[in-house]
Amino acid sequence: MNEQEKRAVFERYNERTHIIGRVVSVITLVLLVGAPFVLGVILGAMPDVGAVAKGFVSVGLVWMVSGVAEYLIYTPMLGAGGGYLAFITGNLINMKIPCAISARDMVGAKTGTAENEVISTLSIAASSLVTILVLALGVLLLVPLQPILQSEVLQPAFANVVPALFGAMAYKYFRGNMKIAVTPLVVMSLLFILVPSLTGSTSFMIIPSGAMAIAITWILYRHERKSSDK
Amino acid sequence: MTILSQLNGPAIYAVCGGIVAFVAVICVVFMIRAWRAGVALGMDKTKMRRVITSSVTFTILPSIGILLGVIALSGSLGTPWPWLRLSVVGALHYETQVAQAAAEQVGMSSLSAAEMTPRAFTTIALLMSVCIIWGMLLSTLFSKRYLKKLGGSGSSGGGGAAGFGDKAMTAMFIGLICAYVGSYIGGFVSGEGLFTFSGDWTPLAVAGVSALTMAGCVYLSEKKGMAWLESFSIAGSMLVGMAAAVLLRLAV
Repeated sequence: MNEQEKRAVFERYNERTHIIGRVVSVITLVLLVGAPFVLGVILGAMPDVGAVAKGFVSVGLVWMVSGVAEYLIYTPMLGAGGGYLAFITGNLINMKIPCAISARDMVGAKTGTAENEVISTLSIAASSLVTILVLALGVLLLVPLQPILQSEVLQPAFANVVPALFGAMAYKYFRGNMKIAVTPLVVMSLLFILVPSLTGSTSFMIIPSGAMAIAITWILYRHERKSSDK
Repeated sequence: MTILSQLNGPAIYAVCGGIVAFVAVICVVFMIRAWRAGVALGMDKTKMRRVITSSVTFTILPSIGILLGVIALSGSLGTPWPWLRLSVVGALHYETQVAQAAAEQVGMSSLSAAEMTPRAFTTIALLMSVCIIWGMLLSTLFSKRYLKKLGGSGSSGGGGAAGFGDKAMTAMFIGLICAYVGSYIGGFVSGEGLFTFSGDWTPLAVAGVSALTMAGCVYLSEKKGMAWLESFSIAGSMLVGMAAAVLLRLAV
């Protein structure tokens, strides 16, 4: 097969990848957003759309910005097939991206080439299937453990999932960024101490806290740029 | 019938399992198509086989970490929903934060089975689904044009402009964490009256234990060459923090 024929094969493959990718992304979106309503029918309780809208304003906007940035940064690395698959199967930063990059490095494929397109799709598909399989097996094994997981003694553990997450993340993010973290942390602590009723709307407090952290980052960034320009 | 037995019911498993199975089929279809395209393009089959093998081995350990996340969330949301969320689209840190935010909107003080109702659950499930659609939505709408525009230039988005973007993203997460850690401090100091220091200290203690565990994981992976620990650091630290909550409650 000469270069021209190869290019034609790849273009055909890419064209169909976009069609299939778009179709399966739309179906997955409908299934995922529709699932809570189907579960609502089963449980006899539909979601509170007003509460969802409020929750979206408080926390969803943060994830929207993060989602757009991830899309812009990772799509060129992953190519068409890898991109569609990675955004459907999730766990991008902690798994799919390092997995695809290590596969690409192993083969020596360059971003934007046909080889990279094939390699990253193979890598992400294999990785996603393994995750699905491991979780399915794990869940199967969890079924007999349900009575233990639901026992009274273990309830404090499950009631503290969120503090456990934020403790771990606090170390990860504050480390090396204390200049940014200290002001919002002190201001937020004081606010929650002086107005305890705010605890019920912590997710809304993310907005001023995030704005403060971004403003400090901007000041530090400008300062760094000025120093490096001199 | 308790809320958890409702959330772990066979019908819920069927809905969630059906979606997971659909995504597994998508992966198989993409894999077969990529393999065939690779063969048609004259790529070395041994290379492609090595890519699959290395990706499989690379993924096993982090997948076990994700499974620990399913266990962590199963106590409040049942098993099938966290299984679906973490098999498809989601990530542990995202799911937990959004679930907590949704729990607040439906009037729950914390994400726990004790306060969970069917309506609260479906509301939480919908917010978890809606907040993370952006990658899928944008790739459906723009990927073809976006990739064509890049034209295989090899750009990975890393330029001068990306410099502040990355920092702003980190800052946003720092702000988010500060709001929650601040609320635990405030809850302890003034939860039962201004400056009484008699509020609930468990979240603060759990966050502290979890942070210390994370510090230990980072030390071992960076200084002692145990890089494999990274895959477990978040889920592992969470589980140690959660175990501390049980022990502290038993001890006090």
